[in-house]
Amino acid sequence: MIIGLEHYLVLGALLFCIGFFIALSKKNAVGVLIGVELMLNAVNLTLVAFSRFGSAEVALSTQVFVVFIIAVAAAEVAVGLALALVVYRNRQTISVDRTTLLKG
Amino acid sequence: MSDFGFHLAFWSLAAMTLGGASMIMISRNLIHAVIWLVMSMLGVAGLYLTLSADFIAVVQVLIYVGAISVLMLFAIMLTPRAERDNSQTKTAAPAALVVILVMISTLWVAVDTDWGAVREAALTDQARLIGESLIKHYILPFEIGAVLLTAALVGAIALARQDDEDAAVHAASLQAELEGGGTDDPVDVIDPPIVAEASDSEAAS
Repeated sequence: MIIGLEHYLVLGALLFCIGFFIALSKKNAVGVLIGVELMLNAVNLTLVAFSRFGSAEVALSTQVFVVFIIAVAAAEVAVGLALALVVYRNRQTISVDRTTLLKG
Repeated sequence: MSDFGFHLAFWSLAAMTLGGASMIMISRNLIHAVIWLVMSMLGVAGLYLTLSADFIAVVQVLIYVGAISVLMLFAIMLTPRAERDNSQTKTAAPAALVVILVMISTLWVAVDTDWGAVREAALTDQARLIGESLIKHYILPFEIGAVLLTAALVGAIALARQDDEDAAVHAASLQAELEGGGTDDPVDVIDPPIVAEASDSEAAS
């Protein structure tokens, strides 16, 4: 059996779903961020697979896109963790179940 | 490239990636979850290498394995022990249902679609090509990305920084707590100013 595009796409889809479940189900705000990071990684893996197996025109642009995704993910996680710390400082918890100020 | 070695690399890296991700789901301790995240990210970096994307693999190790995991460990260690639990919310069951639906549809699309001709040769000299296209073709997104990183850096410092009067109030309440017998782990509560430096260096990367 030759390992081709489909193998990487299935792997990316499974990784995305695991990350999605973690992001939806974790109680801790940092746990949610970990899930989001896994989802971004799955998307990057899919893009790089298309870069390797797709047509020659997209080979370079997908990799540039992956570089941008990684840069935005770094910015996102820095701001997200700073927000988690501020929430902890004001509410003494970072559980997403107990930060209910906007619930009314 | 020998076929057997490639198969071994792909399947072991796939097991490493998915296994690490599943352990994040299972593990009860948030610090262990971050360690499993590092393993999963290293697996993805190896998969990039099997796809001949060497530059992206190096960037993955530098930024995800090096920077983001350290930043997460810092954020976890700045909160007290009681907040390090990694359990699930009450909405985990409906979330699982949604995730299973997403999984079925994405897997179906991935397997069922005809993705067209498969190219055999990989891109060579990637670091040079990516660098050139970043400053030629993608110069505007590149600049916007630079502004975004600067804004994130400033924003993270502004958010995580503790004001002087806040710090005074905090220290007073801490003192009262200590005199009243103390609650949980006061050492963990004093720390927040350190995060400004941490997010600073991470966002710059």
